[in-house]
Amino acid sequence: MNGAQHILEAFHRHNIQTVFGYPGGCIMPLYDALVDDVRVEHVLCRHEQGCALAADGYARASGRLGVCIATSGPGATNLITGVANAHRDSIPMLVITGQVPSALIGTDAFQETDVLGMTLGIVKHSYLVESADELPGILDGAMKLAQSGRPGPVWIDIPKDVLLTETTIAPITTPAPPPTACPDLTGAIALLRAARKPLLYSGGGISLAHSEDRFREFSECSELPAVVTLKGIGNPGKYSTHNLGMLGMHGSRAANRAVDECDLLLVIGARLDDRATGKLDGFAPNARTIHIDADAAEFNKLRNSELAIRGDLNAILGELTRALRETPLAINDWRKQCQTWRTTGGFQAADNEEPLAPITGPAFIRQLSRVAPDDTIIACDVGQHQMWVAQHYQFDHPRHHLTSGGLGTMGFGLPAAIGAQFADRQSTVLNVTGDGSFMMNAQELATIRRYSLPVKLIIMDNQCLGMVRQQQELFYNNRESQINLDDNPDFVAMARAFDIPALKIERTDQVRRGIETILAYNGPMLLHVAIAREENVWPIVKPGGSNKEMIDETRRSAADKKERVA
Amino acid sequence: MNTDSSSKSPSYTITCRMNHEAAALERLCQVVRIRGFRIEKMAVETADGVLDIALTVQGTRSLTMLQSQLEKLHTVAEVILTTPVLAPAASLTA
Repeated sequence: MNGAQHILEAFHRHNIQTVFGYPGGCIMPLYDALVDDVRVEHVLCRHEQGCALAADGYARASGRLGVCIATSGPGATNLITGVANAHRDSIPMLVITGQVPSALIGTDAFQETDVLGMTLGIVKHSYLVESADELPGILDGAMKLAQSGRPGPVWIDIPKDVLLTETTIAPITTPAPPPTACPDLTGAIALLRAARKPLLYSGGGISLAHSEDRFREFSECSELPAVVTLKGIGNPGKYSTHNLGMLGMHGSRAANRAVDECDLLLVIGARLDDRATGKLDGFAPNARTIHIDADAAEFNKLRNSELAIRGDLNAILGELTRALRETPLAINDWRKQCQTWRTTGGFQAADNEEPLAPITGPAFIRQLSRVAPDDTIIACDVGQHQMWVAQHYQFDHPRHHLTSGGLGTMGFGLPAAIGAQFADRQSTVLNVTGDGSFMMNAQELATIRRYSLPVKLIIMDNQCLGMVRQQQELFYNNRESQINLDDNPDFVAMARAFDIPALKIERTDQVRRGIETILAYNGPMLLHVAIAREENVWPIVKPGGSNKEMIDETRRSAADKKERVA
Repeated sequence: MNTDSSSKSPSYTITCRMNHEAAALERLCQVVRIRGFRIEKMAVETADGVLDIALTVQGTRSLTMLQSQLEKLHTVAEVILTTPVLAPAASLTA
């Protein structure tokens, strides 16, 4: 068995059935081996960035390892944004690249780049394989490492000669480490019982730890008022009555108010990111903090905790649920207060009743949320539409909401939707995107067509880079700079060029039928939604400002004098 | 980094043991830089596939944060702070 065959053997052993890649010179031995392999489905994207982001979307939607493959040089460098995206959101990913033959490394050979060196900061770990004999061990270790603890991308760079070298080393599968015991939670339970205004703060770590069910049990049993981060959306479920919604820069007034007033923050699977906390000095000023996470390096990184607990979230949440089921928390006054805030300070957007009125972003997303099935997966891009989805779509599970949280990668949504559709061919997968983001990976329309994926594309087109325009309006004296996209292509014609049917809507009375049409169509379809250019995402906290200083539409003219930000 | 401001920053010494594999030292140095420290002095010894590194670093951020980020590296076996850790950086809330 040569090195390339060992890679396929490792895929089989780890039950990897779908990989996303693009061939080229130095990775050709692996593509040659793929010809004889019937167990691995190779998805050919049209750009390596599309491969990495599709592998990311596959991993997010399924909870399994995402795999992407590219050649050396430009193949590898094109992967980088997608791998950085996975790294920032802790997505389990295996990256395999061909490298120039060992003897040519360091000679500036054709399509040579120092992949190991240039990717150190965006991987959980990486390897440059020096001999075929070490490849089986590295493959097994890399796949386990990518999925263990706090997950992340692991990159294996393999010289072409290693891929071609025969080795007698047997494939390796090391046993999974035994589960760790649940840490002592006595202190955490005591802090919870002592608190009068405890608040549950959960993030993307819940689904990364596969602890969605345990979290839901804990949330329902404890009846703790709860806020979620962008990546934690869906954790409490669509029907939770204690969920105050997303906190932070574009969070709900209710969520930010509860954080401001609480006396204990129970942070689970979150890293207290700046978009969530706003200015740290003003964040949860009256609260003690219990921080529970898989990654010890997140403890006391940005905010000191009274108690930091590292461990398996399933075990910890199970234990917390048992403790609170025996003796519930006596916090009814606080629950009632949060309910009031939830009623008055949730995300509100009036549905537009005027049939001929232009479509507004929030009203469109609310209608989509009402019409789409509960198990719909939505892959967003980055910008205003991303925030409208986060605010106004009711998600029942965190794996239904695929969003580029940490890196904020425009162009994420379309390939991520492709990956999600490969993770489950039967599910309804939507890419909700903007006119700016769509154009960043539009070449992947060809991938949708090639594999006949029934992905639905919704472009919310405001003819500009809306989020940048909004911040220029609010914080840069309305000096618009390089945000105009009024010369966009005809998106309907563009989709049709890829043999994807498409339609355009621009009036309120077309919304419901437009959504129902694309959802009912048995194949890929694009809905081009024209929305107003001037619309903003409300509320907003000025970058670097405190979450207490939210600006919303009604207060905008009085409270904010369009200050400049540094 | 500005030499004037860094010259006022406190110095710390750290010893670090890591597996001797490709890019091990680069990984270590990159984490030190990204987490806000500057290497003043570095001594490396190699034996039996292991690197022992003695580092003197300078910076104003929390040294325990640097330690935990170094410990996160897959190649790192042990990080020991040989300078007593001072109070956390002022930017951290109590």
